[in-house]
Amino acid sequence: MWLVPNSTEVELLFGVTCNFFITMASGCTSEDLFDAIIMADDRFHDEGFQEGFDKGTRQGLIEGRNHGATHGARLSAELSFYYGFAFTWKCIFQDSPEPRTRKKLKALENLLALIQSFPHDDPQYGNLQEDVGKVRAKFRQVCSLVNVPSDFRDYVSKGEEMSF
Amino acid sequence: MKDSLTALCKLSGHPDSRCWFVAWNPSGTLLASCGGDRAVRVWGREGDSWVCKSVLQDGHQRTVRKVTWSPCGNYLASASFDATACIWRKKDDDFECVTVLEGHENEVKCVAWAPSGSLLATCSRDKSVWVWEVDEEDEYECVSVVNAHTQDVKHVTWHPTQELLASASYDNTVRLYQEEDDDWVCKATLEGHTSTVWSLAFDASGQRLASCSDDRTVKIWRECLPGNEPGTDTVGSDLSWKCICTLSGFHSRTIYDVAWCRLTGALATACGDDGVRVFREDPTSDPMQPTFFLSVHMPKAHSQDVNCIAWNTKEAGLLASCSDDGEIIIWHYQSEA
Repeated sequence: MWLVPNSTEVELLFGVTCNFFITMASGCTSEDLFDAIIMADDRFHDEGFQEGFDKGTRQGLIEGRNHGATHGARLSAELSFYYGFAFTWKCIFQDSPEPRTRKKLKALENLLALIQSFPHDDPQYGNLQEDVGKVRAKFRQVCSLVNVPSDFRDYVSKGEEMSF
Repeated sequence: MKDSLTALCKLSGHPDSRCWFVAWNPSGTLLASCGGDRAVRVWGREGDSWVCKSVLQDGHQRTVRKVTWSPCGNYLASASFDATACIWRKKDDDFECVTVLEGHENEVKCVAWAPSGSLLATCSRDKSVWVWEVDEEDEYECVSVVNAHTQDVKHVTWHPTQELLASASYDNTVRLYQEEDDDWVCKATLEGHTSTVWSLAFDASGQRLASCSDDRTVKIWRECLPGNEPGTDTVGSDLSWKCICTLSGFHSRTIYDVAWCRLTGALATACGDDGVRVFREDPTSDPMQPTFFLSVHMPKAHSQDVNCIAWNTKEAGLLASCSDDGEIIIWHYQSEA
């Protein structure tokens, strides 16, 4: 049975022919001429690799950007949730005459301060994981102090490590 | 070997379940035990035998893993797999549950009172260590949540005199914590064990800490005060502890508990090979590089894993152990020295 070359193979053949003439035109010796044919396989391999690499890089960038945006948004949502939570409880407690609320207020203010000092505009911040851990721990302490179960799984990605 | 270990009394502590932990009260007159039957029992001496004085039930929904006495002896704290810790107050001859500490996400593995009695620490499979403060009205407030370990935290214990907390974990490390700006922070990580660290015990002075592990060794750590020891890299205000002795080759299975007698300095271990062992320090060895020798080995002390070992707080040589077989054994240890 005769195999009909598919379009890629036609392109490859065309490429070889073109290169053949280019090599000829540049006035090279006969050694180079054969070299060009023999090494064609290698060269196409390299070119193909480069093309694929470029395409992969573009694709990876897009995917990475999406992945980062999703995780960033999730983290932001979590921290914003804590901030709103702490702010609301602070408002509830700040005018209370009860002396016991002093500790609660202090912990709430610590939590607010931790979130405020969080460098949310620096995605390459080295202590990101560690600081998020601190905020989460402080949040759990605050929940215990204000006597609210810290089970907010629907709002926060608690305990879920970032995966890459 | 002239040192001896004799069983004085066998108690069917938690029948048809595991007995996880035993603890002597500060005056040494009562022994509390806890187990898989969700109960805490308190035992007292009557003549030559020990009898159950009270049973603390209905406090927990699941296994009670650890139990501990407050330094004043009037309270008991129990840690349970139901994610809570209970505080029990002695009332006449019985105990009543006064507070339930909630907050951990899952199994609470250990609870420990600070020597002052005003602080309490709990740890859990959720990898966190919580420090609670107690006020005069028996109100407990969470002072700090520390997420230093990367795995299940198995044990917490306090320094005998200072406000220094130690924890042991499934992540193979021991961590030490101190208070800093109203928060408790990890000040040192003791690395060396190659598997889960199950338990910890400070010596009477608090200068040394013993840790026991699934790697079948006991390690002795010593505090290195800044400036005192040349060649130790103490940075800033962080603590520096280093391993000065490793007891290896004595145990054939996981070592679940280690107890350092505050009266005699003898070191007892509870092992997964069902045995109980007592070690003593060679008094002629260098305190910076001490050597310990096996004083007594009681193979098959229990019919299953030995989970816990505890020296009586007042009576030297009195030792209690408990096991997966549900039994508690009270031992008398005698040494030549």
